[in-house]
Amino acid sequence: MSYNIHIQRQEISALFDLKGPSEALQEWAGKHLPVFPSHPNSKTIKDEMELSFIGRNHWILRAPLSQEQSLAGRLMPESCPSDISIVRISDTLTFFGISGPDAPEVMAIACPLDLHASVFLEGMITYSEVFGIKALVSHYDGGFEFAVEQSFGDMIVDYLNRAIT
Amino acid sequence: MPSNRLPTGGRINRNQPVRFKFNGKSYEGFEGDTLASALIANGVSITARSFKYHRPRGIVGHGVEEPATLVELAGANASGNVPATTVSLHEGLSARSVNCWPSASLDLGATNQLISKFIPAGFYYKTFKWPNWHWYEPSIRKAAGLAAAPTHPPASGHFEARHAHADILIAGAGPAGLMAALIAGRSGARVFLVDEGTEAGGSLLNRALLIEGRPAMEWVADAVAELAQMDNVTHLQDSTVWAYREHNLLMVNERSPQNPSVIERSWRVRAGQVICATGAIERMLVFANNDRPGVMMASSAQAYVNRYAALPGKQAVVFTNNNSAYAAAADMHAAGVEIKAIIDSRKTIPKDALACVSGIKIHAGHVVQTTKGHRSVRGVVVAPIDGGRRFTVSCDLLAQSGGWNPAVHLFSQSRGTVRYDETLASFVPDQPAQRTHSAGAANGDITLDSALSSGAKAALAALNETGEMHQTANVPTGQDTPYGITPLWQVDAKGTKSKAFLDIQNDVSVDDVHLALREGYDNIEHVKRYTTGGMGIDQGKTGNINIIGVVAQQKDLPLQDVGATTFRAPYTPVSFGAIGGIREDSVLFPYRHTPITAWNHDQGAFMYEAGARWRRPGYFPRPSESFQETVNRECRAVRESVGVYDGSPLGTFELKGRDTGKFLDFIYTNVMSSLKPGQGRYGLMLSDDGLIIDDGVTLRLDDHRWLLSTSTGHADAINQHMEKLLQTEFPDWEVMITTVTSQWNNATVCGPNARKTVEALGTDIDLSPDNFPFMSFREGTVAGLAARIVRVSFTGELSYEINVAPRDMLTLWERIMKAGKPHGILPVGSEASHVLRVEKGFLSLGHEVDGTADAYDLNMGWIMSKKKPDYLGKRSVELRRRGTAVRRELVGLVPDDPNHQIPEGAPLTPGGKKQKTEGLTTACVWSVMNDRWVALALLENGHSRHGETAHVRLKDGVIPAKITAPVFHDPDGILLRS
Repeated sequence: MSYNIHIQRQEISALFDLKGPSEALQEWAGKHLPVFPSHPNSKTIKDEMELSFIGRNHWILRAPLSQEQSLAGRLMPESCPSDISIVRISDTLTFFGISGPDAPEVMAIACPLDLHASVFLEGMITYSEVFGIKALVSHYDGGFEFAVEQSFGDMIVDYLNRAIT
Repeated sequence: MPSNRLPTGGRINRNQPVRFKFNGKSYEGFEGDTLASALIANGVSITARSFKYHRPRGIVGHGVEEPATLVELAGANASGNVPATTVSLHEGLSARSVNCWPSASLDLGATNQLISKFIPAGFYYKTFKWPNWHWYEPSIRKAAGLAAAPTHPPASGHFEARHAHADILIAGAGPAGLMAALIAGRSGARVFLVDEGTEAGGSLLNRALLIEGRPAMEWVADAVAELAQMDNVTHLQDSTVWAYREHNLLMVNERSPQNPSVIERSWRVRAGQVICATGAIERMLVFANNDRPGVMMASSAQAYVNRYAALPGKQAVVFTNNNSAYAAAADMHAAGVEIKAIIDSRKTIPKDALACVSGIKIHAGHVVQTTKGHRSVRGVVVAPIDGGRRFTVSCDLLAQSGGWNPAVHLFSQSRGTVRYDETLASFVPDQPAQRTHSAGAANGDITLDSALSSGAKAALAALNETGEMHQTANVPTGQDTPYGITPLWQVDAKGTKSKAFLDIQNDVSVDDVHLALREGYDNIEHVKRYTTGGMGIDQGKTGNINIIGVVAQQKDLPLQDVGATTFRAPYTPVSFGAIGGIREDSVLFPYRHTPITAWNHDQGAFMYEAGARWRRPGYFPRPSESFQETVNRECRAVRESVGVYDGSPLGTFELKGRDTGKFLDFIYTNVMSSLKPGQGRYGLMLSDDGLIIDDGVTLRLDDHRWLLSTSTGHADAINQHMEKLLQTEFPDWEVMITTVTSQWNNATVCGPNARKTVEALGTDIDLSPDNFPFMSFREGTVAGLAARIVRVSFTGELSYEINVAPRDMLTLWERIMKAGKPHGILPVGSEASHVLRVEKGFLSLGHEVDGTADAYDLNMGWIMSKKKPDYLGKRSVELRRRGTAVRRELVGLVPDDPNHQIPEGAPLTPGGKKQKTEGLTTACVWSVMNDRWVALALLENGHSRHGETAHVRLKDGVIPAKITAPVFHDPDGILLRS
């Protein structure tokens, strides 16, 4: 391995796609969610749940898979009002963690986004591309994480292996 | 010690000898040499043959401008057409000259020189037109060509492409670039400094100049060391900014990355500001036989003696029209080269220049008319510029300097304009089109002092534009000879018949340009295309402006009015591998897997892409089974018992909101809003010009939630289509779309025994036809897994599409195979699916839906709602239908010979004659139900021609086929509703 990094293809998380006005979402499910992030491309954390602000009237809730059923029970996607949308999408995304001293180098191969620590601050999250595939990229202490549509997961592994070999 | 190597000096490592081969012969050089410098040190004079006339050529330049000596590198990192001046010497290097046989010294292609009068520029355009240029092309290319591309990839390592971002990108680490980098770096800005040389310093590497009273290279070393300490500075050497694209995106080719497994790296740098400090390139003088081995750029001769301690000659004549050659003469003289004379076309020579060369004979107001010698220069013929007595000066080196051209290539690529500067007699940057600054010689600041100052100025300007307000900077002073030039575009030597070259690489002479002008190609871009001057590997770096000058003289125009040709990327050649990076082999194209991809592989499935980058099983062959036998077997399983296929790639979207029904009614031709929860309906989507763009089934989950499926290949396009409509046409409509293609995978169990198989899986869903009819769905558990079953059919058989979360898909699949085993269940690939849908006459995008057909053409007028006041594409279809144009309509074809296959796409013509086509075959399959080939076709007026015979016209015959309804199995749809 020519780059000093650690790559982890992560297990499935519980994911819920939330759309609609934040007021309406908070009214329906606010008590079950972290505080809504005040700025786009940022996230808030409560217990083990992350709520990421990823687009206009668009959020993603992420939690351990073990909480999926209970969250579904509390968020009640099937019965929420018409002006909001809550959809379980746990299986749609595959997450990869890239950490280690050379993580920025490998991410620079994969992603056209400016991931410099002075620009893409820790805790930020945004859509970009990874190896040409739409990806949800975030920056955390010690590395990066990105998620791609699940069906591309094997290809991303293939790419990463090529990048670090 | 090689014959032309100086005993001391140079920036070579004499403790590290390097052995190499050139044209099969062994030589020795030193670490720090280029192939060119090592050849010069070894006294090799003929290093190449010219492109067209196969004239002997030597080394002309010392960097990327080299026009003459291109080599082919052998071995692990084989490469073709590399300037010898850019090849770093390394142990075991093996190179050979291109375009010569059997060798550069003795080249049989040189016979072309005997007929050179008859093969001027453009001769092949006129001569080899009949009957077909391509008849002659191979032999012409063989006679005048370059090295072929390597036949094998590099033996080890890989290429890499990566992204980078910077506040300021600086192209060039000469005095101006380094000065700019120091100032920008010290401010804390993110700086990306790129230089094409193996060492920083630019022209300072080759010259003996002082900065602040110290050798300039000491200042360079200090600057490089300081930059290395800055975390905010990325500094690349042996790297070239080769393209400057929109929005300050620059492409950088790093040729020797530190990472040992990376052969070359391509950087895509997005910069806030760009400083072009790319230096200047010395241009040739134009006189007869100015291409002989031994004719060299003066700055290159200077570089070889100073930087490489290699003597390009022992007795030199210097020919110039500007001051810079005097310093070169002085350095050569100091190195031991006898300067026989300096020939200066200017009648008055500045004192500063004269001061450099005391004791050397100078002929002011004189020109070199031609060179003498054959395989190398033996002397030059000199005459007064205004005419007069000619005389000969013997020499083995002619160091020439026609002046300096700012390297405006990147600036021009950025769409900045250039203007002709009379003082410099060259084009300089004028108005930038992007956030671009020019500095140093690239900006026309030729001398060291002005280069340092303009580098600082550019850095301050760039910083100010980034919001970092800086007013001043300490700039060291440099010691240099002032620059002055009187342009000399060509030497007028009446009576000299030999060729005077403007472009050495492409063998373009003054006569060729005159010919182009006589033939009416008088725009400079046309002159370039006609003569090929300025094309090729070097892109005319040493000669382009001379072509412009000759055109200007011939047309009696100022150079500004002639203009410059467009500078295009790449500035220097770039490996394809570096551009592609790691994107090769298995990742050349994206690919997608479903959770049972591995299972498919284990079963020996033949996999291929089947839309939207999904790798799917085409078929599941058994040993000794033919393709057709496999497909037939899978088809029979579905028609006679049960099969299962993976339908996961179908695009799936959940739509939510109070306006969703209204939106679906707009994008589909039929009514969706009337669906009751639990029901589904097949629909067609049209584009605004009324043509079919997609089809699929929509389910109503509850009052406000809908599940829409699309074809696999169009999933992303339909998603964009819907979002575009909602964001641009209906921003007030409350519809929210969530892609759930990968949230729901499905295994579709189909065939007469499908119900029994699903029952055997175990489910709490009532599968009876009365309680679970066709085009409905139910939610529950199947095989112990949470599932949604949908009753749709793409095969025409009883089908259950069992949707589960991908995490459960493999489990479901394996349990289906187990449950269906008593019925002989088989997995079904795309090939069998294709057969089954053709037998049913179900349309397929890309086959029957070919971008011209509408619903009526496909016998689907029933799906065009008469109730809805409007929907997308309705008006266009109606308008088209009001016309009288003959339509191609979907029909079935049954070949008269049941064993005669019709190639898909084959044309139909009246009577099979050579006439205008009246349709095409969209699909043809072996029908296991009919035991014969059957086909679908789009045929003019096809609906009214059932029972007639159509004719498929092929190259080798005609296939007659009976026209039928486009359905060959269960025409009433009883089975799929069973």
